[in-house]
This record gives sequence, structure tokens and C-alpha cells, in this order.
Amino acid sequence: MSSVDNRSVPALGFLTVVDHPQHGLFGGYLVLNKCGRPLEFHCTAPIKPNRAQQILYGPTLAPFLYGEQIGQTLVQKGRHEPLVVCTDLEPVLAVRPHVSMPVVLVLSPAPTASNDTSACIEIPHFGGQEKIIQRVDPSHGGPGGLVRFRLGRNELALSEGTAAADQPSIAERVAELAETFDLGEPFGRIREAIEEAQRAVR
Amino acid sequence: MSTRPDPPAACEIGLSWYASPRPQVYSLELELGPEAAPWDWQRQLAWPAIATQTLPLTATAPPAISVPIARPRIRVRSFEFPAPDEVLPAVAAAQAPSPTAPDGPAATPHGATRIRPPGDVIKLEDRLLYLLQPALELLLAERSLEFPFPPFAYQFQGIAFLYPRHAAILADEMGLGKTMQAVTAVRLLLRCGEIRRVLLVCPKPLVSNWQREFQQWAPEVPVLAVEGEQEKRAWQWQFAEIPVKIANYEAVCRDRELFESAGDGGRRLRFDLVILDESQRIKNRQGTTSQVVRNIDRSRSWALTGTPIENSPEDLVGIFEFLAPGFLNSDMKPRKMGRTIRDYVLRRTKDEVLKELPPKLFRDADLELTPEQRESYRLAEEEGLLRLTRMEPSVTIQHVFELVLRLKQICNFDPATGASSKLERLEADLEEVAQSGRKAIIFSQWVGTIEILAEHLRRFGPLQYHGRIPSARRDDVIRRFRDDPDSHVILMSYGAGGVGLNLQFAHYVFLFDRWWNPAIEDQAVNRAHRIGVAGPVTVTRFLVLDTIEERIDRILQEKRELFESVFSDARGHRHLGLTQAEIFGLFDLKSPHGPIDLAA
Repeated sequence: MSSVDNRSVPALGFLTVVDHPQHGLFGGYLVLNKCGRPLEFHCTAPIKPNRAQQILYGPTLAPFLYGEQIGQTLVQKGRHEPLVVCTDLEPVLAVRPHVSMPVVLVLSPAPTASNDTSACIEIPHFGGQEKIIQRVDPSHGGPGGLVRFRLGRNELALSEGTAAADQPSIAERVAELAETFDLGEPFGRIREAIEEAQRAVR
Repeated sequence: MSTRPDPPAACEIGLSWYASPRPQVYSLELELGPEAAPWDWQRQLAWPAIATQTLPLTATAPPAISVPIARPRIRVRSFEFPAPDEVLPAVAAAQAPSPTAPDGPAATPHGATRIRPPGDVIKLEDRLLYLLQPALELLLAERSLEFPFPPFAYQFQGIAFLYPRHAAILADEMGLGKTMQAVTAVRLLLRCGEIRRVLLVCPKPLVSNWQREFQQWAPEVPVLAVEGEQEKRAWQWQFAEIPVKIANYEAVCRDRELFESAGDGGRRLRFDLVILDESQRIKNRQGTTSQVVRNIDRSRSWALTGTPIENSPEDLVGIFEFLAPGFLNSDMKPRKMGRTIRDYVLRRTKDEVLKELPPKLFRDADLELTPEQRESYRLAEEEGLLRLTRMEPSVTIQHVFELVLRLKQICNFDPATGASSKLERLEADLEEVAQSGRKAIIFSQWVGTIEILAEHLRRFGPLQYHGRIPSARRDDVIRRFRDDPDSHVILMSYGAGGVGLNLQFAHYVFLFDRWWNPAIEDQAVNRAHRIGVAGPVTVTRFLVLDTIEERIDRILQEKRELFESVFSDARGHRHLGLTQAEIFGLFDLKSPHGPIDLAA
């Protein structure tokens, strides 16, 4: 195997959080090269907000934990500077003010010609528990002010506050990759890896 | 004396509490005596002394609780992976440039076959490296690995099974493309730089077949067949620039010294991967072949076989001695053995994965002996049994076996007259085959039977493929059978034609006589019933009633059940190998103890 320093290799970051009903939140951050091969992976030990945090943070708890705390910590651990960080969870977008690269939400599944025109974001759990489902209504940009756009084969969204600055940048950086790359696919790998890591410490 | 009341010892205080800053107020009731004392009026008029008392008024501060909003401490585990590999120089040089290949993934692949870490990969980092790889289809596309035609989904799964494993058996039913799956897994490992030296060992007649398969499925991978005189082979073994070497079992055994510990300054050969095709060849652990291949220095070991168990679970133990010595032992019950090997063996049947494959239609042709055959059979059986009875108790399995073979041959042809009910039936069936422009494969155990059949079936343009046909001519025989419209029949021995050949252009298979175990028969049938077959394959099994063939058939059926007991994790187990007792039992003879191995 080569020992070349690949920190300058064009890379994509994939950041997600898995909510385990017993253990709490596990963050996972995967950096892939442009061919989809893993360069590095970081995951957190489980984090469980206490009751006070739940009450005091109220609806801002998820963005705080997912983005500011878990997301920021993980992205800062990375040795590669990705072109873009993708996430499949809207609260993770809150990491954007704390990192230097654009952070984009990958809507999954991408809208189809079916009757249901709303996209469905599933916040996944493992352990066979109930899933939280947030629905993004395209008619008004979605909850929290999302700006949706399509890039290649991928349906993406940005926070309203960052869209103006980040959207052109994302288009410039990953337009070619987005033509062929299913940006939603690596999140499955992260979830499997988190589950594997969790099994290893049991 | 006046009775004026004493001044109050303490003022009565009307206390009102207001929150600060209201002033504190004390109310005093001033009482004047109602009587005046004339002699001391001045004194009486004096104001009484006012006593005051100060009471502290302490207000308790309200309790306050601080709730710390601590930022959670986040522990992170980090894994960095080696930079995705570089292509092996020899492979890269041989690869035709692909000007249209894009920089990224070549195309959007359909399907997503994930590579899972095998159970024997313990280190979390290594397991994650496998789990975090993209789908196999994407890996192949990324490497611009093209195929002559799209593999089936189950073949991708087979490649994903082999790719991460250091010890594996691909035990797919014949005809599902084990060769293609192994070639592609080798190709991918070479292209990823994970292996550089591969040795493929196969039966001699299949060397050219493997060369063709590599040419078809991995055209950029240089392949060398190790063959010829000893000096030439010695040079070929050391020729490091060719990543894949193919050798037959006999050549490997002849050159065994090269695989043993280096001595006298010689260099011991080492391979990153050794693949044994038709690995049932090493089922006998005491055999030379088994000992030689186990001695090859290697880091990965794969075995390919459609029949990991031919006779008994002991066969599987023999193969595992090559893959992972000591992992299995002969004392294991089939069910436990099945559980133990689960992570090492991938076995699929056509019924499971190729539902679209045309069906395999079995016809049992139950025949009666001709009168001539019946008479010969009766005499042979009576004489043979009489002889065996006289020999008791010194009768051996060889004596019984000779009688079995004699009777089976009579079931084929009457030795005196050449009469044969099987031949009559066969000729009738072949007329139909030839008229429809189809082709048929006929299997027999004996070359002698094949030669007699060839004489009788001349009008069907028969070709022969068996041990007496030189290896150099065999490819030409197959080519003629495929291309010559007048050649409707190929006559094959189970030994030579049972494995590795692709004859999917034949729609009929005849088992003129029966082999000793069902796995060999299955292999034979699957020469025709495999991927690429255009229509149903009709298999006709000749069986002469009320003869030794019928009795053997019952044992074959039991052997099928044994196979299922290991590979389907079925409940219960009976020892179903062909034992001495069963062989003797064919003639109601008593036997000494101990199993024997009849199948080749």
C-alpha cells in the first residue's frame, strides 16, 4: 500500500448521526476519495443529553448536538479537507458555521414522479426502534428554511442562511462527481461501520 | 397607696411586616392612672418611662439552584486507511488504454453488492476497511473492468465473498460460473495490488479451459501454463513477471521440491494466492496431492468444487486441511460441521439463483434385460455368489467389487451376443435427437463400453472424449462436437468429461451406466445444463430393473441426503457413505468391519 500523503487528494466528507434508543447518539464521519474509496473514518462514543439539556435547549437541542457538538468535533478530527461535507440529517447542517467547507443536505430518496411530492428524511436508528421522520415540503422550502436544488443525479438542500454563499461553491466543486456518484449511498456504510464499532466494544 | 398599674414590662407591639423599605412601626398604649395622688401629684403627672425593645427582622434570601449546562465531552475513535492501492505493473502494462474511461467511476453501476469482512478478520480497523468500501459494482467500474457480458447478481455476490477471504470454498453447483467468479476476484485483487503471485491448480484437461476463461474475463492479466519438460517448468515457476500461473495437479506433484523448504541455496516458491480447482482431488489427506499442495507457501487459499462432499464429511475435512488445517475434524457431526464452515463456504444451487435457467428434466429409463442379458446375468450372479460363499470368511471387498463390476457390464451388453436393452433404447432416442438437429452427451464408466457404443452409433457422427484420447486432441474434439452439424453425439467417460467442460449447446444427456456417487453424475449432467444453455436439458438415466443397478441406485439416493445434511444444516444424521457392509449387503453377505471408499 502506498504511504503517499493524501491530504491534498480531492475528497468528500459524509457526516451523519445514529440515534440508538439505549446508548444515545453516535456520530460518524467518513471521508472518501473521488472514486468512493475510504480514506478515513471517525466515530464518536455514544452521547446522551440529560433531562436538563433536553428542557433548556428545547427544539435547538438537535442542531446543537448533531451539528455544533458532534459534527464539529468529527470534522475537525479529519486529516483530509473535503471539498464538501454531505449529511443526510437536517440538524447536522448546524455545523456549517463551525467548519470551513460547505455542508449540504442530501435528500433521500430523491423525489420521483410518484404522487407524493414531498421528500422524506429519515433519521435512522439502529436497534430496530421507531424512526423519526421529518418531511420536507418542497412548496415552501421545508422546515427551518431549506433551499433545495438538484446536482447531477442528487437532490440536495442547504440552509437558507448559507445557500447564497455555498450553492455556487458546491456546484463548482462536485458537479462532475454528482453526475455519477450517489451521494446518499455512503451513509449506509457509515451506519454499518458504527454498528460494527459498537459491537466491537460490547 | 394608689393602685396605679405598673408600667408594662414590655410594650405590646403591633408588628406589621412589609417588604423593605417600609419603616418599622411600634405601637404603644399609654395608660394614665385614673387617680391622682394629692401629695405627690408632680410625680403622678410625670410621664412613665418607655421601655423599648429591638427585634431583629431577618429576611431569608430565596434559594437559587444553578443548573450547569455542560458541553458534552465527546470521545472520538479515528481510523485512517491506506491509500487506495496502485495497480500491479505487469497488469497495468497489459491493460489496454481506455481513452473513454472517465476520471471517476466509469459508469453508474446497477445493484450494490457489498463486501463483508469475513469472520476471521478480528481487528476492528480491518473490518471497517471492508465495510466502508463501496459496492463491488462500483469498485469494478472504478477500475474500468469490463466484462464480455454482464455477470449475474449471484456472481457478484460470489466475487464479493472471495475477495476478502484468505480461506474460502466456492462450492456452487456446477454450471453457475465458479470459474468466472474466481477469475474476476483474482483480477480485482491484482488490480487493487493486494496480490501479485497467483497459482491455480486444476486437473490436466482443464488447463486450456482456464486459459480461455482468463482470456475472456480478465484479458489484461498475463497467464502462464506451467507445463512441458522439467527444465522448462523450473524456469516457468521462477518467472516472476507473470502474475498468474496455471498448473495441473500432476505437474505440481512432480515439482514438489520447489514448494518445500528451501535448501541448498534454492528459493522456495511463494504465492499470495493458491486456488485449487476441482478441489475434491485433495479429499484424501494422506494422498500425495494433498500433502504437496498443503506444503505450498501461500497467504490465501481458495478451493473450487461443486462437490465438496462426494462420499462422506471426511472429504470436506480433507479440503479444509488445505484451507485452514485443524479447523475441522472427522468427529464432528454434520450439523455442527455445517455451522462451523458457514463463513468459509459459499454454496448456491441453480434452483436458488438461476430461476430463469431452463429446467433440467430427468427421465428414469427403467429397462428390462434382454433374454440373452438376463441369462448371462443370472449365471454370473449365481457363480459369483457361489464363489464368494466358498471363500468365506476370507472374502474381501475386492472380491465383491469384482462381481459388482461384472454384473454392471452385463447390464450394458451381453458379453456373448452383444445384446443390450440400453442400446436399443438409446438408439431410438438418438434418432429423435438427430432429427431435431440437437446434440447429446452420453456418459459411461468404461472406455470399453464407449468404444462399443461408438461402433453402433456411427450414423450419428459420434465423437469420443475419455482417458485414451490424448490431451492435445481433446480441445479439437470439443470444437468439432460444437461446430460440426453432423456430430450429434459425444461419448464421454465420467472421469475425463465430468468436470470443467462447457457443453451447453447439448440439450440431451444420457447416463448409460451409473457412477458410484451422485456428485459425479451431477457434474456430468451440468456440462450441458449451465449458463448459456438455450433450452431445457433432458437427462435420461438408464437403470435395469431387478439388477445390481437398482440396488446401487438406492445407495446413491442416500448419499444425496448426506450432502444435504451438511449443507442445509438439516436435522439428524445417518452415516450414508458406501460402507463395506453396504457393498456386502448388495448380495446379502456378511462383512468385516470398517468403511471403504469406493468412489474415485
